[in-house]
Amino acid sequence: MGFTTLFDIAGSMIIGGILMMTVWNLSDASTEKTYSNSGELTVQQNLLILAQIVEFDFRKIGYCNSWNAIMDPRTKQPFNSSQAIIYADETSISFYTDLEPYDGVLDSVSYYLGPVSDCSETPNPRDRMLYRVENNETPRSANLGVTDFRMTYYDVNDNIISPPVLTRGLIKSIEINITVENTAAYDEKYSSAFWKQIRLASRNVSRSKTE
Amino acid sequence: MTGKAILLVVIGFSLTLLSVGQKFGSVSNRAVDNYVSYQKETLAHNIAISGANIAANEIYMNPTWTKGYSNMQFQKGNLDVTVDIVDADLGLREITATGTFMGKSSEVKIRIAPSNFSEYAYYSTYERSSPLSGGKIWWTGKDTVWGPFHTQDNLNVYQHPAFLGKHTSHKKSINYYKNKSSDAPTITGIYEPGKNLVIPPQAVENLEAAADDNGLKFQDKDSLYLIFDRDSLRYKYNYSDEYTALYLPTAAPNGLIYAKDMVVRLKGVVQGKYTIGCSSSSTTSTEKGTVWLDDDIVYATDPQVDPNSTDLFGIVAENYVYITENSVNNNNINIQASIFSENWGFGAYNYADRPVGGDINLLGGIQQNYRQAVGTFGSKGIKSGYTKQYRYDWRLAFMSPPFYPGTGGFRIVSWFE
Repeated sequence: MGFTTLFDIAGSMIIGGILMMTVWNLSDASTEKTYSNSGELTVQQNLLILAQIVEFDFRKIGYCNSWNAIMDPRTKQPFNSSQAIIYADETSISFYTDLEPYDGVLDSVSYYLGPVSDCSETPNPRDRMLYRVENNETPRSANLGVTDFRMTYYDVNDNIISPPVLTRGLIKSIEINITVENTAAYDEKYSSAFWKQIRLASRNVSRSKTE
Repeated sequence: MTGKAILLVVIGFSLTLLSVGQKFGSVSNRAVDNYVSYQKETLAHNIAISGANIAANEIYMNPTWTKGYSNMQFQKGNLDVTVDIVDADLGLREITATGTFMGKSSEVKIRIAPSNFSEYAYYSTYERSSPLSGGKIWWTGKDTVWGPFHTQDNLNVYQHPAFLGKHTSHKKSINYYKNKSSDAPTITGIYEPGKNLVIPPQAVENLEAAADDNGLKFQDKDSLYLIFDRDSLRYKYNYSDEYTALYLPTAAPNGLIYAKDMVVRLKGVVQGKYTIGCSSSSTTSTEKGTVWLDDDIVYATDPQVDPNSTDLFGIVAENYVYITENSVNNNNINIQASIFSENWGFGAYNYADRPVGGDINLLGGIQQNYRQAVGTFGSKGIKSGYTKQYRYDWRLAFMSPPFYPGTGGFRIVSWFE
C-alpha cells in the first residue's frame, strides 16, 4: 500500500470512467439510431400503405360495374366516365367511382388534407390528417404523419390546369405528391419519405378506344 | 485476474455491438423490403395492364378471339388472360388479365363492346358539302357539341367552339380561322387527333341480309311513304294510295325496316327500337337511297322527359337525309333519331331558297359523309332554312338502333384495376 497502489486505484478509476463514458455514449447513440431507424421504417411503411390506398382508389376513378345503366347524379343523364371528377384543387379531390361490393351504384369518394391543428397532440408541428370520405359519410383518417398531399392536374395535351378545376372532363391525368414524417422523433430530428406518382391516369377517365 | 476482466469487457462490448448491429441491419432490411414489395406489386400490375391491352388488340384484329393466354412469360413475370363473352346480343366481352411477378399478383378487368356509328353525336368524312365545294365549313364559338365527335377531315375552328363529348377526334390538324389564341377549341373528353375511322363500304346495303332475316323489306317500287304510328307502321307506295297498316312487333321482329332501291318519305311517332334503311342501286343518281322527312319523327316516350324511355330510332340512308320543303316543316321540325348518311349527308332541301323554317330540334346524332347546310344567315340572323338546336341523345353512348352500321372496331366500356 503506497504510491503504487494509489496510482493503480487512480488509473482504474480513470479507465473505468472512460469505459463508462464510452458505454454511456454508446447507449445514447444506440437509442438515437434506434429511434431514427425505426422511425424511418415506420415512415416508409405509412407512406407505402398510403400510396397503395391512393393508387387503389384513383385508378378506379370513373369505374362503374353497370357501365350502361348508370345515371350521373349531377346531370340526370347516363354517366360519362370521362367526367367522373367532381371537384379538384391542390390538396383535395372528389370523384365518382363504384366501391366494393361493386354493385353498379355510383359512390363518391373525397380526399382532403386537414389542418395542422387536427394533430396538435403530436410533437411534429407539420403533420396533418389525410381524410377519405365515402358518400358524404363521416370522414375517416389515421394519423400517418402526412405533412404534404398535393396534386397537379393535366389536360389532354399534358398542360397543367390551374386549380380549382371546375370544368368537368378537363382532367386527364394527375400528378400526386405525398410526404410523410414521423409524428415524434428523437431530438426533433424527423425522418421523412416522399412518394410521387408522376402521371396517374384512370383508364375510365382517359382511355382511348381500340378502333 | 486483470486479463480475465479485460477479456470479459471485450466480449461484453462485442456482444452488445453485435446485437445493436443486427437490430439496425434488420430495420434496414425491412425498409428495403418495403420498396421491393411495392416494386414487385407495381411490376405485377403493369404486366396485368399490358395483358389487357394485348388481349384488346387481339380482339380488334380478330373479333372472334377468345383464346386468351395461359402462364405466358412476360417481362420476367407471368401473364394469364381470359376472354369471356358476357352478353352475346351486345357483343360484350370481358377480358381478365392477371399479372404475376415474384409472388405478387395483380388483376385487371376490362369490358369491351362493338363500336357503332350511332354513338357519335357528330361524324363526318368531309367538312364540306360536296367534292366540288372547296370551302371549309367552320365550327364557331356558338357551336357546342355535347357528345362524341369525329371528322375524317381537319377540324376548322373559329372563336373557340366547344367539344364536350366523351371523345373528340379529327384528322391530323386543326385549322384556326385566325390563330390559336383567338380560335382554339375547348375539348373536355378524350382527345385523339389523327384518328382514322372510315365509313365502311356498303354500310347500307349490308342491312339487307338482316331485313331478310326477321326484318321488314320493301322493294320493287320507286317510293315508300311511311308513317310510324307507335306500334304500327302505315305505308303506301304512291302519294294517292291509301295507307296499309302493319303491327310492327310482328312485321319487323328484329327492328329493321329496309327499303331497297327506293325513295323513303318519313314521319310519325316511334315506339320501340327500329332502324329504317334506304338503299340505292344507282351509282350516278342520288334520288333513290334518300330519306325525306315530311314532318316530325319523334319518340312515343321522349327521353328528355323520361330518361328510361326505350324508344330508339335510326335513319340509315345511302344518299341524303333531307328535310322536305313543305308547309308543315316551315314551322320547326322535331327529329328524334340517329341519322346516318353513307355517301352524302343530312340537310334541308333547297336550304338557300326555302322560307325561314324555325328550328331543327334534333335529339340524336348525325353521321355523314359530307356536311350539309340547313339554312343561310346574314348579319340580321337567319335568311332561309333553319337554325340548329341539336342535342345528343346520351342513351346512344350505350345503346344503338338495331343493325345500325358499326365501325368495325371495339370500344372499352369499363376498366377495372
